[in-house]
Amino acid sequence: MGGEPGNGGESQIPDSWEDLLAAAQGGDQRAYRTFLMSILPFVRAVARRHSWSDDSVEDIVQDSLLTLHRVRHTYRPGHPVRPWLAAITTRRAIDAGRRSGRIQARETSDPSAYETFADPAANSVEAAQAAESVTRMMNELTPKQREALELVKLKEYSMAEASAASGQSVASLKVNVHRAMRRLRKGREAEEES
Amino acid sequence: MTSRPTEALIESLAAEAGPVRPLAAPLARATRLLLALSLLFAGLIATFGDPDALAARFAERELLMAAETAAMLATGVLAVLGAFALAVPGGSRKWLAAAGAAALTWLLLSSTGCFALVADRGADGWKMDGHADCLLFIVTAGAVIGAPLLWLLSRARPIDPAPVALLGGLGAAALSAFLLIFFHPFAVTVPDLGLHLAAVLIVITAAALLRRRALRPA
Repeated sequence: MGGEPGNGGESQIPDSWEDLLAAAQGGDQRAYRTFLMSILPFVRAVARRHSWSDDSVEDIVQDSLLTLHRVRHTYRPGHPVRPWLAAITTRRAIDAGRRSGRIQARETSDPSAYETFADPAANSVEAAQAAESVTRMMNELTPKQREALELVKLKEYSMAEASAASGQSVASLKVNVHRAMRRLRKGREAEEES
Repeated sequence: MTSRPTEALIESLAAEAGPVRPLAAPLARATRLLLALSLLFAGLIATFGDPDALAARFAERELLMAAETAAMLATGVLAVLGAFALAVPGGSRKWLAAAGAAALTWLLLSSTGCFALVADRGADGWKMDGHADCLLFIVTAGAVIGAPLLWLLSRARPIDPAPVALLGGLGAAALSAFLLIFFHPFAVTVPDLGLHLAAVLIVITAAALLRRRALRPA
């Protein structure tokens, strides 16, 4: 199978997905980057076919890329990449659908719960300031703490799912979430005092 | 995760990507394990087996016993091959059907043997002829076979661990039951069959429960 041409544009970079991935397995980071960029349309198409809403497509794509990264040693050089890649993306789409189903079954949306003031304009100013503040504090976390917080607190993954998605052990996830929360709390207290 | 642009994710994945050693073909890996187990089984049977008791057990119903043994072995082999195949992305789910069909055949042939015994012996066919040790044997041998099997399967970091654990457990249990034949000098009665089934289910359940830890998903 001839994959789509790589976009590296240099003679040393192979041009089929199979060759690019085989080169990436050998440690060629440039070939790996080219491979990941060139498969994006295919992964998005598979994700779109199996997703329940357009909003979830990019989440599935990113989950698929993370999974691909962890199982890239299971690709056997010389074999077609597409079925291997499609299997990974389809699996992640199914997992995302199940996760969404669980969340929808247990939770109800209450937009008014997020409002502080009756005047919508006041809320948007507050929200903008809060978002800026949260972004600043999140940037102060280490990458692992940020990842742990995103997966466990924002995406509401179980510890096992977050561990699977991040490659961090459950124990280190707990430690990172705890430290991240502590840093955020301290950051908020410092902002309130200033 | 949409807050993190996909392109940025790609950059970070590429930046941290080191060389990895591709896994060998799943069926080749499974075959290597099965060959190692065959050698182990052969050594155990040659050392501790009881060929006279085995011949006595097969007597007058050679065909049925041979078919049952073959179905048991086929279940073990197909389940192990299927577990390795499904552990990597894109493995065909037809392995589940193949191992399931072999397991069903094994169950049907075992049941046929048991009920033939009931027809022969009457009420005695409902008594336990063997020992409860059979359960312990299958569970212990299942653990001994299952441990390296799960370790080898975990190297693929299966993206869907449930069917891999199911087939791995079935394979370990079926191969243990196959090994038991050579150390089990009794005709299998209905309660014995129930005990064997319970042992197989214990091994499969243990594999399923261990899948999160042993087969850490990708």
